[in-house]
Amino acid sequence: MRKLWFKWVALGAPVLIAAGCATYPDQAATRQIAEKMVSEGFNASPVHAKRLVQDRSQQICSKIAGAQLTQDEAAEVVRLARGSIKYPASGKLVGDWKRGDQLAHNGAGDRILRGKLEKRKENGALCQNCHALAPGEINVGNVGPSLTGYGLQRGNSEAIAKLTYERIYNAWAYTPCSNMPRLGATGHLTPEQITHMVAYLLNPASPINKK
Amino acid sequence: MPRTRSGVAALAVICLATLGAAPALAQSGDPLGVGRKMLAEDNPGELWIEKGKALFYQKRGPKNTSLEQCDFGMGPGRLEGAAARLPRYFTDVDRVQDLETRLISCMVRLQGFSEADVVKRAISPGGSSGSDVEALALYITSRSNGMKVNVQLSHQKEYDSYKAGEYLFFRRSGQTDFSCTQCHGEANKRIRLQDLVHMTSKQGAEEVASTWPAYRGAHYVVRTMQWRLTDCFWQMRLPDMKYGSDMSIALTLYLNYQGNGALIRVPGFKR
Ligand code: HEC
Ligand code: HEC
Repeated sequence: MRKLWFKWVALGAPVLIAAGCATYPDQAATRQIAEKMVSEGFNASPVHAKRLVQDRSQQICSKIAGAQLTQDEAAEVVRLARGSIKYPASGKLVGDWKRGDQLAHNGAGDRILRGKLEKRKENGALCQNCHALAPGEINVGNVGPSLTGYGLQRGNSEAIAKLTYERIYNAWAYTPCSNMPRLGATGHLTPEQITHMVAYLLNPASPINKK
Repeated sequence: MPRTRSGVAALAVICLATLGAAPALAQSGDPLGVGRKMLAEDNPGELWIEKGKALFYQKRGPKNTSLEQCDFGMGPGRLEGAAARLPRYFTDVDRVQDLETRLISCMVRLQGFSEADVVKRAISPGGSSGSDVEALALYITSRSNGMKVNVQLSHQKEYDSYKAGEYLFFRRSGQTDFSCTQCHGEANKRIRLQDLVHMTSKQGAEEVASTWPAYRGAHYVVRTMQWRLTDCFWQMRLPDMKYGSDMSIALTLYLNYQGNGALIRVPGFKR
């Protein structure tokens, strides 16, 4: 009898626990399990594996299912974003709109395929993926708001140039955790490239400001 | 002693009650999502079903065996409705597996193929005649056509995988600060002209859960969920996703569970 009982516990209890007692892991356990999956989930060289590690802002901006940022969190993201912004050595925030036009329509650069980094002279700026650009352009995304007529609406004062530069360098300085990548802060674009983007958005001769 | 016994019994009752109370996230829903009608006719992917069927019953590999003894969760060789319940926990490997990892387990164990070899070939080059895994995955899923996606959480590892999948769906990283939600978290969004499925909606999740493997027009081959995830990670500028990784399975489990109730219709047809 006694023996039988032990057998029942030994065999039965784990089954009961497995079948009946399974529950959602708590937040800390989930995080630990998922982060382990990330660290084991890619074939990555040590250099490329660094891309998998989140910075502080990314951690804050990974809220599950639209959970709201707290005020403190939003403030921290903005503070980190403001601190990240670097300006071009020349001090000139407005570059060459023609180069900006090319970059805006270039979605390539820095992707990894079978261990190999996509080598380009420079990274594309990706804007076309998410934003409407010059009037009449059809092949544009809508993840972000339309940029058509951006300079027409805002003019091209120094203050607007600075704001635009900063928004492209680190969008989270103005909209914490927005869907816009922090293109300058993460190193995807150089400060110089961003000056070309600013020119592309603001110069009256740029296709984006044509009617 | 009896006290202990009733203690265990009581525990079981409590646990079952908790189970019953677990959020029934993915029950009701419109079974026919947008774009489904396109799938019915003239889908070249249909050809892969026959190919997969032949591969399934053929004696192959170093052990010269068919896949008829492979257990996809409904018992050896029982394919009807099996894909509708995947991913799920399998005792023999003590892990949660999706269709593709389960299939490869069988190709290795029953047929004697080398895992590294099969994995290396699993995603075929565009324009090729496709891989064995792609054809087999489609055939096996097609045996659930017309049935409802019915992913269940019962084993602890299934709960863990589900929650991890949810966490991963929202986890931002890399130089573009992307998680899945930047592209799949809102309705009617596009990257350039490519429509993005809104996966945090019931309808979008159903689309995902019920249309893979799918014929991919741009590549002229049938593609699987593992390929789709790999491609999204590539766009996110992250390193190469490991085929069949627990991470990929967690994301698949999370999405399929949200898509429960959708009627399976494979091959899907994608741009
Ligand atoms: C992955 C999507 C994505 C990419 C790529 C992207 N953006 Fe954005 N962008 C957004 C989103 C979403 C917003 C709105 C939220 C915000 O302001 O941060 C936005 C906002 C903006 C704004 C502010 C708009 C306003 O009305 O004030 C500007 C300017 C801008 N983007 C420019 C650019 C430029 C230039 C590029 C390329 C160098 C670019 N974006 C690339 C998604 C993107
Ligand atoms: C930069 C944008 C982007 C990101 C980030 C992204 N995807 Fe995608 N996803 C796409 C595009 C583009 C498609 C294909 C659309 C097409 O070709 O029809 C797609 C398609 C898919 C599909 C197939 C949908 C269907 O049934 O047709 C799945 C599943 C998917 N993505 C999952 C994910 C997951 C999971 C993640 C995060 C790990 C993710 N995606 C991140 C852009 C993205």
